[in-house]
Amino acid sequence: MTNFIDYLLGGFSNGAVIALMALALVLVWRSTRMVNFAQVGQAMFTTYVALTIQQSTGNWLLALVVAIGAGAILGVIVFFLVIRPVKNSDSTGAIIATFGVLIALQAGAGMIWGGDPQGFIPPVDNAGLEFAGRIWPISPYDILVLSATAALVIGLTLLFTKTSLGLSMRASAFNPEVARLSGVRVNRMLISGWAIAGATGAIGGVLIAPASTISPNSFDILLVFAFTAAVIGGLDSLIGAVTFGIGTGLVISLVSGYSDSGNAAIVALVLLALNLLLKPDGVFGHHGARSV
Amino acid sequence: MKYVLPLTHPLLAVENVSITLSGLKILDEVSIGAPEGAVTGLIGPNGAGKTTVFNVMSGFLTPDEGIIRFDGKKLKHIKTHHLTKLGISRTLQGVGLFESLTALENVMLGGSAGVKSGIVADSLGAPWADSAQNKLRAQAMEIMGEFGIADSVDRYPSELPYPVQKRVAIARSLISNPKVLLLDEPAGGISVGDMAELGRMIRSWTPERTVLLVEHHMELVMEVCDLIWVLDAGKVIASGTPEQVRTNPAVLAAYLGEDGGNTDVGNG
Repeated sequence: MTNFIDYLLGGFSNGAVIALMALALVLVWRSTRMVNFAQVGQAMFTTYVALTIQQSTGNWLLALVVAIGAGAILGVIVFFLVIRPVKNSDSTGAIIATFGVLIALQAGAGMIWGGDPQGFIPPVDNAGLEFAGRIWPISPYDILVLSATAALVIGLTLLFTKTSLGLSMRASAFNPEVARLSGVRVNRMLISGWAIAGATGAIGGVLIAPASTISPNSFDILLVFAFTAAVIGGLDSLIGAVTFGIGTGLVISLVSGYSDSGNAAIVALVLLALNLLLKPDGVFGHHGARSV
Repeated sequence: MKYVLPLTHPLLAVENVSITLSGLKILDEVSIGAPEGAVTGLIGPNGAGKTTVFNVMSGFLTPDEGIIRFDGKKLKHIKTHHLTKLGISRTLQGVGLFESLTALENVMLGGSAGVKSGIVADSLGAPWADSAQNKLRAQAMEIMGEFGIADSVDRYPSELPYPVQKRVAIARSLISNPKVLLLDEPAGGISVGDMAELGRMIRSWTPERTVLLVEHHMELVMEVCDLIWVLDAGKVIASGTPEQVRTNPAVLAAYLGEDGGNTDVGNG
């Protein structure tokens, strides 16, 4: 039983980062109705940028802020250089193009920062807290990750529900033509969606990096988990992405704890397959949300 | 009191507009205008090109030839997202509401182009962005109150009866305080009683607003319009007061021809 609780607690912070990546996928889906497989590549790249800042200044917060800005800018660049030219003629082509962007970013990062895994020093202690006579699998850093994720999710929810930008973004995603009739500049909303997604992914990248190491391919597995969470959550649901992001983190932790961490990805894919067979609209998705 | 027709200075017009889509001539040198402060009807059999005229006026289509004239200015093409700023508002066939937004949010969206707090201010939750949003919300509540749908603000369109959805759509198009309203079949799917109410509502907007109306229900068109244009197979075949149009032989022939099913030249 102690094991079970430990595994569960240990999965939360990982789940929070999966939730952030899933949120980034959902934000792009909501604005452009496509999956951006380059999302983790963008996050990896901006995490390297953050690493460089941290190594030269020692300031973690500055590194995070720069990564957020870089993430937003990179999102817009990817959208303008790759997605928009391709998507106008071919929607499927645009999705394949995101794989191209992923490979290019990984190659680019390898050339700039090298292929060896590098450590990312956390701003607060990452060792388990001692409480009630034992060490728990939750560290001060885990608490930071969970708090940052919660703050971001609340911020995004307020943005989408309480602001004119959020309202226009939701309208553009649902019906661009009608949104235009109401004076919404749909293209700007699209770009905003990519920028916010890029920034969200960047936060996820910086938060996960201290938990392991960073290398050009270190986030690949995160794509599998985040994609699973986003799809099971319904692809256009923020709350779905968060719920199943954290849920996926817990499942991975349990699977890794009771068997082998190598099985986690297989379990994620089985969950994805089951979801597509049993509830293809996703748990939080409404019917037709995924039709283009 | 019906409008007396000075047709020389329409507020919104298409002039000599031609459009060919997939090899079919949908509009053939069509000139149609909506005089300021009047209710103008646009009628014709299915496929005559009525909605296409609206699509040109609202920027969904760019004419191959001809121009759009608004408030004395010649335009080759109107950018759809500029419409509300210009003072033109359009309703769509059916209701065209956003299913994932509440009735209140739908109405607010119609006025959101007028409140520009800025993307960055919105993202950061700046106080002035909040107050602009609150003002818009109050405005939307007020207009929904006027339309007798204040109790529907937090409902989603699919939860509302069809006539209420129609009212939400009209409230959305009025919140930007437009000079010109383009109404695309506003009476579609509503009861006779609601239609009479709709007719009174449309008349009440004039002469402050200019209305251009595409409608199949002839009783409504004849009752509310000052001026009517008749399209058939992409061409204007008649225009005039309701009395003139009602007795025009070409109009009668066009509507009889519809029963033969040979006038369908494209989208209405």
